[in-house]
Amino acid sequence: MKQTWVMTVAALKMYLRQRETVIWAFFFPLLLLGLFGFIRFDGVGTMHLGVVNAAGANGVAVVERFRHVSALEVSEGTEEAERAQLMVGERDLLVIIPAEFGTGAAPRLIVLADREAKPRETQLGTLIVQKVMDDAVFAVAGSLPRTTLDVHAVTVRNLTYVDFLLPGVLSMSIMQLGIFGVAFAFVTLKRRGILRRLKVTPLQPREFITAQVVSRLVVVVAQIALMLVFGVYVLHVHFIGNALLLLAVAMLGATVFLALGFAIAGLARTEDQVPPMANAITLPMLLLSGVFFSRSNLPEMVRLITGVLPLTHLADAMRAVAIDGAGVAQIMPQLIGLGIWAPVSIGLAIWLFRWE
Amino acid sequence: MTQQQTVIHDPMLIVDQLHKRYGDLVAVESLSFTVGRKEIFGILGPNGAGKTTTLEMIETLREPDGGKVTLNGVDIRRSPMDVKRMIGVQLQSTSFFDRLTLRELLVLFAEFYGRKIDPLRYLQEVDLADRAASYPAQLSGGQKQRFSVALALVNDPVVLFLDEPTTGLDPQARRHLWGVIQRIRDEGKTIVLTTHYMEEAEELCDRVAIMDHGKIIALGAPRVLIQKLVDSGFSRERAHALANLEDVFLSLTGHSLRDDE
Repeated sequence: MKQTWVMTVAALKMYLRQRETVIWAFFFPLLLLGLFGFIRFDGVGTMHLGVVNAAGANGVAVVERFRHVSALEVSEGTEEAERAQLMVGERDLLVIIPAEFGTGAAPRLIVLADREAKPRETQLGTLIVQKVMDDAVFAVAGSLPRTTLDVHAVTVRNLTYVDFLLPGVLSMSIMQLGIFGVAFAFVTLKRRGILRRLKVTPLQPREFITAQVVSRLVVVVAQIALMLVFGVYVLHVHFIGNALLLLAVAMLGATVFLALGFAIAGLARTEDQVPPMANAITLPMLLLSGVFFSRSNLPEMVRLITGVLPLTHLADAMRAVAIDGAGVAQIMPQLIGLGIWAPVSIGLAIWLFRWE
Repeated sequence: MTQQQTVIHDPMLIVDQLHKRYGDLVAVESLSFTVGRKEIFGILGPNGAGKTTTLEMIETLREPDGGKVTLNGVDIRRSPMDVKRMIGVQLQSTSFFDRLTLRELLVLFAEFYGRKIDPLRYLQEVDLADRAASYPAQLSGGQKQRFSVALALVNDPVVLFLDEPTTGLDPQARRHLWGVIQRIRDEGKTIVLTTHYMEEAEELCDRVAIMDHGKIIALGAPRVLIQKLVDSGFSRERAHALANLEDVFLSLTGHSLRDDE
């Protein structure tokens, strides 16, 4: 126990003294986040308008008119559904056509928008809606009472790309740390005979491996803390999740990837063989596991296949916890997925790992 | 074993009928020898003679196919953990964790044995006290070898195994290491080393075993083995050379170390 602890501290020291790995583990993910965080992809091109038609036949013409405005992308749905979409930032503006519309009462529309989060969209959107309504009324009667817009301020969670990206980059870092961090270190130790030197001491192999794993997990915790602080305070990421649950998910993911790292360390004879093997595992996942882009745009087949990858489970679970505030129950499918990967990868590591 | 002239009482190491094969190749064949306490025992032989395999079996790194090894009264196959605690080992290719200083490495390795040590004492033992804060990569070849001897001493072993400790070192560094090894023996340790430098064996070892093809072909004190050869009628072509080229080299370049500057 004492030996394991001392070895863990030493392993951590060795890890942190390695400048290049520290740069990859800490600086690079931050840089990536920073880059994407400050570049805004979501400029005003088309405005996403949610429409709820409670007036039945009387409202259909209005909806049609909205659909003809090229600057608007119109989605129609129930009030409940459209409100939900507005709240997560999928709609810029929500227009509700009330039941009494077109029954002779003074025409009135209810508009829901968040001025704080989307000032330009709110302003421009209400202008367009007003203009569409005025044109409609004018075309029919020449002059009739103007439609009033009843604007209700709401506070939406306007999720940006960084909100999506942060949990993804965290997952990516955990994968890289696990696979590259362990594989390189162990192949070096193995090839240079340092593991043999340890074997003539009373230090048990399992104590040494525990020390390596624990030291990497400590680095994962530090990574998560650093990136969350940077994300929330510098990039204003909307983090509403439970940090402890996030950490627990990260640990489970790190376990899977550390084990895969040990498996590669077992297969590779020299350090040169590590990158091709590690890249063969990490690159497809980086591109297809929804780290940078949502998997929803992938072809059905690819989505099904990538759905079982460990990074997909990790990124999905991390994202659900971070931006949806998901609890254990909501991420159960991902936890089960990682829970299957963990013993599989650990078994693979034990099977492939060699001391010499 | 007809070569064994001396009967050793209370031996430190008894190797009895040790056997190891790799596939068809017999690396070590029915090897037997005994090492006394406080002895410097040399295993000589050309590359591939089985020296390293023999050492590695005694050090618990390799499982023998047959035979018995008793170290300080302990059967190494029955209690390998007890043996690990009693021995100090310098492996042939010296390599350490890169990113720990000499001081940190010594403290860490001592902790593996549950010991708290003053690392400086061990560095002094091998004349490296001024390099406590250095990383292994900053050491010269001779300093690395000396450091690996220091590292092998952290558990206060009863036997020290050194596998080709001076290979690749210049004559000055080699002689310096000889001095260190003799000092360690004088402090009461038993030392088993391999080498293929004959003058090293002659200078340093109380007794040597000469190995070839996995077997011991001669065993005894260097002087006794030389005498035997001379008695059999051998004489050098240029007998009674009063000096050799190494003496010339050392008298020209001096005995002092170059790698410590």
